[in-house]
Amino acid sequence: MSRLGIFVDRKTLSSAEQLTALIHCRDVAEAMGHSVEFIFPVDIHRIPQMDALFIRARTDPMNVTYVAARMASFHDIPVIDDPRSIRVCSDKINMYCQLMKKGVSIPRTIFLSRHELSPEKAEELFGELGRPLVIKEPSTSFSLRVEKVQDTAEFMRVSRRFSKLSDWIVVQQFVESQYDWRIGVLGGELLYACKYTIPTTTFKIQASVNGHVVYCDVLSVPPEEIPPDVLDLGLEAGNAIGNGLYGVDIKKADGHACVIEVNDNPSLESGEDAHYPLVYRKIVGHLLGA
Amino acid sequence: MGTRKDPPLVKDQTYMVRREGVTHVVSENYSYKSDTYYTILSQEMKGVAIAPTSQSVLDAGVVPICLEKARLAGIRVCEWGISHSYVPFPALLYGINYFATSSDYHPVAGPDETKAAIKHVTNCGKYPFCYQGLGDGDYIHRVHSVFGRVTTEDPGLSRLAGEIYDLFGIPLQTLVVRERAGEYAFSSLAPCRYSALSRDEKTLLHAYIERQEFL
Repeated sequence: MSRLGIFVDRKTLSSAEQLTALIHCRDVAEAMGHSVEFIFPVDIHRIPQMDALFIRARTDPMNVTYVAARMASFHDIPVIDDPRSIRVCSDKINMYCQLMKKGVSIPRTIFLSRHELSPEKAEELFGELGRPLVIKEPSTSFSLRVEKVQDTAEFMRVSRRFSKLSDWIVVQQFVESQYDWRIGVLGGELLYACKYTIPTTTFKIQASVNGHVVYCDVLSVPPEEIPPDVLDLGLEAGNAIGNGLYGVDIKKADGHACVIEVNDNPSLESGEDAHYPLVYRKIVGHLLGA
Repeated sequence: MGTRKDPPLVKDQTYMVRREGVTHVVSENYSYKSDTYYTILSQEMKGVAIAPTSQSVLDAGVVPICLEKARLAGIRVCEWGISHSYVPFPALLYGINYFATSSDYHPVAGPDETKAAIKHVTNCGKYPFCYQGLGDGDYIHRVHSVFGRVTTEDPGLSRLAGEIYDLFGIPLQTLVVRERAGEYAFSSLAPCRYSALSRDEKTLLHAYIERQEFL
C-alpha cells in the first residue's frame, strides 16, 4: 500500500464540485489499495513522507503549490503537477516558446517587451497579425487578463495595464470559434476529451460580462468522436511540455486546428470526464503504479 | 580593490559576462516575468549555457524552496514553517505569493505587530506565509554577494556567500543571514540594487563585468 498526498488549499475546498471530485479521487485511490491524505499548505513538511503527490490547487511558480511541487521533486517523489510543468504552463511566454520549439501549430504569436510598446508598434502588429488581436498577460488563467483589441488605442490601454504585471506580454492572432476542444493528456496519452462552448457574450471560456461571471458549457466527448487531427495535435502539444497531466485547448477554424494553450492542473470537476470513468484510476496509476 | 574610477552601473541595466562557455547574467532584478527572467529563458530556449537558470531564479525567489534546496546541499538554514495565522514570535515573516518579494521580510516580536505584518504579507489573509523563529540576541545580517564574494572579512559569511553562489549561480544578490551565538544560518536571498552596493562592492562587480575577470 502506498501513500498518496493530495495537496489542496482553502480555495479548492470552497467549491462543492471540487470537493466532490477530490472525494471521488480519494475513493478511487483507496479502492486501488492506497491510502490518501489531504495535505494543506501548513502540512508541507509532510510531503517527504508521501509516495506521490497530486496537486489540486491553483498552480503558479510564486505560490505555495510550487513549494509543494518542488518539495516533492527535491525528495524524488512523483508529483502531478511537476515543477517544470508548472513553470512552463503558468507562463504563456514559456509555454508558447516550448510549443514553437517543437513545431506545434499555434496562432501567429509575438512576444512584446514593455520597452517596445508604442502606437507605431501596435499598428505594425495589426498589419502583421490581423485585426482584432488578442493580448495576454503571461500568467493568465481561467481567461483572466486575456483581452481582444480592435484598434491602437485599445491595444495601448490593455498592453500598458498588463505590462504592470509582466515585462513581456503575448500578442496573438485572433482565431474565432464557437467552442474550444480540451484534450486531456496524461503521460503522453489521451485521458479525456471535451468541448468548452464559448458563451455568445464573450470570446473566452470564462468572462465577466456586465458584472456577471459567464462560464462556458462543458460537453464530454467520447474517444471515437474526437477528430483525428485534434487528437493528434493535443497529444503533440502535451508531449511538447512534458510527461505529466495537461489540458490542451485547441481551436479549429477553416479546417485548421491550432493550440490556444496547454494547461497544467486541468479542471476535472465540471463533467469533462463524463465519458471517461477511469480518469482518476489512470492518474493514481501514473503516480503510484496500477 | 582597484583605485581607478569605475563607470557607473546603470539602473535596470542587465549585463552579460561570458566565461568558459557560460553566460553569466548580472541584474538588479531576477524576479519572475522581469526582463532579466525572460532574457534568461530566451537564452535557455536557444540552448545557451546560462547562469543563473530560470529554475534557479524561481528557487531563489520563494523562501521555503530556497531554504530546502540549501539545506539539502548541506548549508545551515533557519528553521521555517508555513502558516495562515500562527507565529511563534519572535520571528521573521516572508510572503509566499505572486506579489511577495524576499527582500520584504518582517521581524516581529509581539502580537500587534505580528497581526499587522501577517495582514501585509498575506495580502489581507488571502495567502499563506513563511515564518522563521528567532531567539533573544539573534542578529539579522544583510550581505551583498558579487559572484559569491563579499567584502566583509568575516570567514563565516564569506564561506556562506560562496556556497550560496555555487548552488544558485546568481551573480548579484543580497543574503539575509541570521547570526546566533556566532553561528550563521541562511534565511533568504533577495535582489540587490546597484545603488545599494558599497564602493568596494561596485569595484568588484566592475572587475567581473568590464574586464570579464573571475578573481
